[in-house]
Amino acid sequence: MTGSYFEDVPVEAVEETPGLTITSAHVAIYLGLTRELAEDDTAVPDLLPLAFTIGLGWRVPKPPLVVRAFMGIDWQVLRSVRVGDTIMTRARIVTKRPMRDAGVVIEEREVIDQRGEVVQRGRFTYLVAKRTKETRA
Amino acid sequence: MRFRTARSNCSLGVGRRVRVLSYGSVTALSRRYFDEIQVGEEYESPGRTVTEADIVIFAGLSGDYNVLHTDAEFMKQSIFGERIAHGLLGLAIQAGLFTRATAPYATLAFVGLRWKFKGPVKIGDTIRLRAKVIGKKETSKPDRGLIIVQRTVLNQRGEIVQEGETDLMVERRQRP
Repeated sequence: MTGSYFEDVPVEAVEETPGLTITSAHVAIYLGLTRELAEDDTAVPDLLPLAFTIGLGWRVPKPPLVVRAFMGIDWQVLRSVRVGDTIMTRARIVTKRPMRDAGVVIEEREVIDQRGEVVQRGRFTYLVAKRTKETRA
Repeated sequence: MRFRTARSNCSLGVGRRVRVLSYGSVTALSRRYFDEIQVGEEYESPGRTVTEADIVIFAGLSGDYNVLHTDAEFMKQSIFGERIAHGLLGLAIQAGLFTRATAPYATLAFVGLRWKFKGPVKIGDTIRLRAKVIGKKETSKPDRGLIIVQRTVLNQRGEIVQEGETDLMVERRQRP
């Protein structure tokens, strides 16, 4: 399987994603899926940019982490996001810690709007696969 | 007569900000303020069965097509044995379950969360939310306070699949 294994993960390298304009269609699908309550017609539910930041991570020209399990999130919401705003993500691996068959990787992420303001930020913790005989580089 | 009732309801909004939420069943008038919410309050939501459709829609919406959620054949060989729901789908569904577990708070902002994914949510699993108010903090602004809610997401076997704490900034009742 292709992807970035634990051994390949570069610490401290900064990665920026393309942007995504949040539309009322995104919000409507999200509200239908979750049945969260909308505050008003142009408010974007706070967990939606958090969900987009993971998808945006797949749009950079780099093999994605071979994630065995998503372990946790520490997340802060700094500003509200409105329909029509365009967000992108800046990410950086801050720590990697090896274990037997895998390793723990901590990534810092910022969600940035079209004005360059950080609207949400936090840390993701993943369990990332190590290379095996079959997947050795 | 019905028209009159509607009009008189409308007049309530004059000079006061009354926001009617888009789902219609809940209005700003029934929201609970910081002062009314007590540490130790507990809520339990109804259950929600997570379907293959939920996962497909969430993959399309978020753009997260990780094989964990989208490749049934690959996942047969994994420790999970089948596709699992996105962690953030579980997180988003519990946010919706919270709105079905208790009367809405007069929330001004969702400030942050500390969250752990403890186990997989598989297609057909039924999850529910157990929540408890574990902290209240006054802030430098007199019109709002922070409410900390501990949340546990359980599956149909009572196993904890996700848990964590959320921080909500909630409006205070205007003082006389």
